[in-house]
Amino acid sequence: MDALHLCRADAIGEGRSRGFDPHGIGSDTVFLVRFRGQLHAWRDACPHVDGAPMAWRKDAYLNAAGTRITCHAHGAQFEPDTGACIAGPCTGRSLQRVAIEIDAHGEVHVAAHLRAEETEKWQR
Amino acid sequence: MKITGIETLVFGVDDVAAAATYLTDYGLLPAGGGRYEALDGTGVVVARADDPALPAAMGGGCLLRRTVMGVADAATVDAIAAELGRDREVRRLPDGSIDSVDDAGFRIGFQVSVRRPLSGLGELSNAPGAPIQRAANRPGVDAAAPQIRPRSLSHIVYFVPDAARAEAFYVERLGFRCTDRFTGVGPFLQPAGTLDHHTHFLIGTPHVKGVEHFTFHFGGPTEVLQNGSRFVDMGYQAFWGPGRHILGSNWFWYFNSPFACHVEMDADMDLHDATWRPRELPLGADNSQAFLLRSRRKWMPGPGAPEAGDYA
Repeated sequence: MDALHLCRADAIGEGRSRGFDPHGIGSDTVFLVRFRGQLHAWRDACPHVDGAPMAWRKDAYLNAAGTRITCHAHGAQFEPDTGACIAGPCTGRSLQRVAIEIDAHGEVHVAAHLRAEETEKWQR
Repeated sequence: MKITGIETLVFGVDDVAAAATYLTDYGLLPAGGGRYEALDGTGVVVARADDPALPAAMGGGCLLRRTVMGVADAATVDAIAAELGRDREVRRLPDGSIDSVDDAGFRIGFQVSVRRPLSGLGELSNAPGAPIQRAANRPGVDAAAPQIRPRSLSHIVYFVPDAARAEAFYVERLGFRCTDRFTGVGPFLQPAGTLDHHTHFLIGTPHVKGVEHFTFHFGGPTEVLQNGSRFVDMGYQAFWGPGRHILGSNWFWYFNSPFACHVEMDADMDLHDATWRPRELPLGADNSQAFLLRSRRKWMPGPGAPEAGDYA
């Protein structure tokens, strides 16, 4: 089984998000968000507090309108497509993008060249 | 200034339904009008961020609109109104409370306390030799216990740009005492009408004004651990804990929330009177937690478990 498979691309609707634990550490470390049709993957780690998880509940990374990623630790708000923090305590900083690939069957994976590096990082 | 503690926190949120679900799952009781209460009637009020009835937003993404404190009597409300009226606007609201602002910019209110007295024991442990123990045949834990209820609004933690100035306001103008302090960070503050280690903790942060967390007291560590475990099982995102603080001794478990701050569950905070001498510690995990617990889902080899539990 491919450890860094995330989900089907069409499982994430517009303005929705979902968290994943592709490295099997027991909590989500990556999340997907669909914004203006495009899927974006970000590390589930707020730049405000090193590594702080961002959802307030499983898969709940966005504001009510689904237009901004929100860190539910201290309220920082991020653009879903650029990862830039545009309001809150870490304004001007950015989320870390995770490169993804969508295969011929419509399945989303962490990009192949990152698998070894990512796995090593999270399992350390 | 006999201020007895915080009685209501008012938030203007992006997603009222999410906030309502969160507070209900946390254990607060809906009291109507967007108010969610602990067993003693203290609580949180939630409204849409654009509700014109709310006090103005502070900016910077902070969703807290007002912190309402209880005081011993009407004379204390009048005394606070007179004191703050010397250098800032103080308004009398139709509900009998007064409204003003602290030196960091947080809107504050004061009312004659409506906190209902609680009675009954908290958590007891059967320590060998202890004169007070649970009665015979009274199990200490009930895994099937109904929803655990927070007892009382405990404290709030503000990020303030200038901790010294913010502290001076509460100490010199409102009669709070510093009970303990993290060096270079800020004080734990206790008002004159309670023995709780703190109702306010201030974190000096040059560019941030807002809320780090707020919390309610639960009946004991078992309630915090059981309620927190259920919260995690419902999908809520823990941030830090469970563990036990050193300053204040309170058991803690912190969670993310739709209030742009953490929300804690706490229990068994120290009580201090005027004879207490404040301690001062440098900030750091070693000085913030006496211990931190880690959960383990599979703790023994057996059906469905790896050969050695999940120790690997």
